[in-house]
Amino acid sequence: MKKVNPDIDFIRKVKKESGSDLKNCMQCGNCTVVCSLAGENHVFPRKQMIMAGWGMKNELISDPYIWQCHQCGDCSKYCPRDVKPLDVMSSLRSQCIEYFAVPGILVKWMKKPSLTFLTLIIPALIILVVLWANKSFDKMQLPVNYSAFLPHILLNSIFTGFTLISFFLLFLSVKNYTKHFKKEFRVQKNEISSYKLFIETLIDFLKHKNFSNCTTNQYRKTAHLMIFYGFTTLILLTIYAIYAVKIGDYPLNYYHPIKIIGNLGGLSILCGIVILLVKRLNKKDINSSFFDYSFLVSVFLLVITGYVTEILRFSNHISGYHWYFIHLVLMWYVVIFLPYTKFAHFIYRLNAIFLIRKYKIND
Amino acid sequence: MNENTGILICTGCQIGDYLDIDAITTKYSGRDKVFVKHDAQLCSCNSGKMIHDFIETYNIDSLIVAACSPRYFAKEFDFGIKTERVSLRELVCYPHQKKHEDTMTLAEDYINMSLAKLAYIKNPEGFVPENISETICVAGGGISGIQAAIEGAHAGYQILLVEKEKELGGWLKNLHKLSPMKPPFTKLTDNILPQKLQELSQFANIECLTESEIIKTSGQPGCFTLKIKQNEQIIEKKAGSIILASGFKPYEAQNLTELGYGIFQNVISSIELESMVKEGKILKPSDGQQPESILFIQCAGSRKQNHLPYCSNFCCNNTLKQSRYIRESLAETSVFIIYNDIRASGRMESFYKEIQNDDLVFLTKGEINKIEEIDKKLNISVKDTLFGEDIVIEADMVVLATGMQPNNDHVLHLNYRLGEELPVLKYNFTDSHFICFPYETRRTGIFSTGTVRAPMDITESMADAGGAMMKAIQCIELVKRGETLHPRLGDKSSPEINFLRCTDCKRCTEECPFGMYDENEKGTPIINHTRCRRCAICMGACPERVISFENFNIQSVSEMIKSVSMPDEFEEKPRILAFVCENDAYPAFDMAASKKLKYSAFVRIIPVRCLGSVNKIWISDALSKGFDGILLFGCKPGENYQCHFIHGSELTEKRAENIGEVLQKMMLEPERIKTVFLEINEYDKIPQIIDHYLEEINLLGMNPFKGM
Repeated sequence: MKKVNPDIDFIRKVKKESGSDLKNCMQCGNCTVVCSLAGENHVFPRKQMIMAGWGMKNELISDPYIWQCHQCGDCSKYCPRDVKPLDVMSSLRSQCIEYFAVPGILVKWMKKPSLTFLTLIIPALIILVVLWANKSFDKMQLPVNYSAFLPHILLNSIFTGFTLISFFLLFLSVKNYTKHFKKEFRVQKNEISSYKLFIETLIDFLKHKNFSNCTTNQYRKTAHLMIFYGFTTLILLTIYAIYAVKIGDYPLNYYHPIKIIGNLGGLSILCGIVILLVKRLNKKDINSSFFDYSFLVSVFLLVITGYVTEILRFSNHISGYHWYFIHLVLMWYVVIFLPYTKFAHFIYRLNAIFLIRKYKIND
Repeated sequence: MNENTGILICTGCQIGDYLDIDAITTKYSGRDKVFVKHDAQLCSCNSGKMIHDFIETYNIDSLIVAACSPRYFAKEFDFGIKTERVSLRELVCYPHQKKHEDTMTLAEDYINMSLAKLAYIKNPEGFVPENISETICVAGGGISGIQAAIEGAHAGYQILLVEKEKELGGWLKNLHKLSPMKPPFTKLTDNILPQKLQELSQFANIECLTESEIIKTSGQPGCFTLKIKQNEQIIEKKAGSIILASGFKPYEAQNLTELGYGIFQNVISSIELESMVKEGKILKPSDGQQPESILFIQCAGSRKQNHLPYCSNFCCNNTLKQSRYIRESLAETSVFIIYNDIRASGRMESFYKEIQNDDLVFLTKGEINKIEEIDKKLNISVKDTLFGEDIVIEADMVVLATGMQPNNDHVLHLNYRLGEELPVLKYNFTDSHFICFPYETRRTGIFSTGTVRAPMDITESMADAGGAMMKAIQCIELVKRGETLHPRLGDKSSPEINFLRCTDCKRCTEECPFGMYDENEKGTPIINHTRCRRCAICMGACPERVISFENFNIQSVSEMIKSVSMPDEFEEKPRILAFVCENDAYPAFDMAASKKLKYSAFVRIIPVRCLGSVNKIWISDALSKGFDGILLFGCKPGENYQCHFIHGSELTEKRAENIGEVLQKMMLEPERIKTVFLEINEYDKIPQIIDHYLEEINLLGMNPFKGM
């Protein structure tokens, strides 16, 4: 027997963030009928809709089903009351990120346009202090040499260090989530080993298998794949770069195969982001919050500034240093602040789908 | 006997293809004082003049129109003389074979039956009582009564509005605000009572009697006499028709102990909540504190077999309205609504959405499992919810949305032989035939409106009042013309009793569904003509056969039966007689014909006003004549009562015992008589019913009385 104690603030937050009159849901179940994720024992997203309307925060933020959703948009299309389950689900996901993030205040800043400057000032100040300590402002000379401006050893150690801290915090958040999830769902363990299940989940994840179930918005899968693999490539190359600096084979020339692959990776992200941005801007049936846009735009700008920095280096222009600085700030925003932006979604999703399999709650 | 009889045969609509018209013409033209004419289209404009000329030329005083069903062109074939319609198209041609010998016999039989009937009927003149009052009495001064009075006064009739309380308004007086009544249907409406009273006061032709009760109602439509007790004084008023608008009484919450009423102080009924709001404060009855959360239970005592089995139609909107009260006056109080289904029909959908959208209003379908009090808080456990699991809600107060019951006891005090109360049907409502005649009660000239008739809200009551008032006005106008009301609207015939042979057996007075008969001290029936709805159930009931109508009587039907030509038993052509109720079954035969469904040509159909009007003498007449079987087609009785005369078909079943005696006396098998209940839309079953019955009769063999 579940005791109901509505969280009114939660209702108001979800309502505001999703732009949906979700209380108007009359529980007809059209959304569930058209949703490929719904099953006999989980009437997704109808049940999530009434729970949202009743402010059942605890149940919803740890609900793994919301992470299975890849926003095909059928539910919103067929909703007779226009309560946009699609947008409610995406706002529930963002609530989940906000609730579990350590420290949560960073997500609140990320979500508010007026406070987002704080999240940019922090990395900017840290990098400026490092630059000041390194007396880098005196080294802004032609020919453009970024490694003189900010020695790689310094850059790599600071960024890697902060990334590791941030990933540790992300790990704590997800662990927190899993704990909460186990409390809310009286779970039953799968006999198959967790390791095997995790590999299975990871393979599906790499293949974007769940995405394929969304037949309505197929373009999203393509765009998402481009960004995903673009990013993966760049991360692998960054790791290689750290190694390359060590053996002294750095910076690379523009015809170096690694450089070419890196540029292609960036291009792939750029194309994916442009598709998603254009679609979001044109689309009226999907609600886009600041949280969505700030993530897309920051990645977009990160890639653009990366290219500009690169071009200015090869063309040997003094403003390259300024762009390099902006690029580094954005890099911090996107990568180190990953647990607090929408970027965190991939790890929550991976975890939720793994948990669904591990505890057989889809059956 | 008839002087001159004219037979007009129509050959249109393929009738000419099915029948040998010349043979029929020749057969009947030979008869004395019978004139025959046929035409390709009797219903055309030109034919009208032709028929007039025909009537004038031959000085015809009774006419047979052998064409389509009497259900068509009633006006076109009314020439002011007595007229019989032979349904050649629907009963003879379409359901049978073209130019077949049996079809021809059938046509001739029907014409013979009409000829026989014409000799024993006359055109009714209509009974008009003296001193008809054109006042309409409205009993009850709630919103339905007030609205009915306004509508009637608008139409120019004198209205007598009787209210037992000091002030008009009824339940409306107790309401704080009303559900939305105008677009966009999202805001509560202020109580409309002051505005309605203002409107009422503008009419000089409305007489209001407050603090008054009707202590006796006697008389009949057109001339009712009302004895009214006002302030210990008794006054007498006349009325032409009466509208009963006595409203509802709430379902007693005391019966709802399973929902905690009477056990926990903080469980109240929606009516108690309304008066709290009216007084200005919503406070917990237990300690006078403001509640932090209030839970509404819908269908409390409604739609349940051990309480009210029906939906009261207003509680959902009422709860939505009351949750708005709470949310307006207590900003932090949550409202929970547990419902079976939210029935906010029509435009109330907008209001429902409005309330739903309130962040602090929580709705779910569910069933109350248990209510208990823990730490001064009510814990309501709900099962079968939309969450897919049982939930427990903590609330400070529980409001039971109780339903309504008709308030129809001891209102009119009828001075009728059949009792002083209005008869009730399903769920104790006063209607007589809820499908076709919603306002008519089973006492002619008395109409019910508003919540006494069916559960409804204020908007519906006001619309309903207009409808009932139109019926009340129609009643007076029809009485003035000597015509009856639904369902035989416009029928001028009226019952006559041959008192010389009446044995005062009281069967007619007891079986009349409309309480038409009163009795004198000796028990002899007294006819109240304008109460009569002309169903002739009394005629069917009368063992002495002393009741008759001008155009429908024992003899006319007996003669019809006797006029059918009867083939002898060696011809292997059985004859079946079918008495068919004119209200549902006869139209079903017409529909079967229009679909060209085929059935046996051995059946002879006699339409009757109601199956209850079939007198057992007709059965014995038919069996003596040699009919092999008798089918009785009536409307469907029972739960969803279809019978237009309330219990005509049921009476037939009851009387089957008497009929059984007839058969026993004649040493015939009881299977020869069969009652069939047919709904109007079951026309497609007719061929099967008749074929099946014919097989049964074949097994029994021919009627031994044939040719005797």
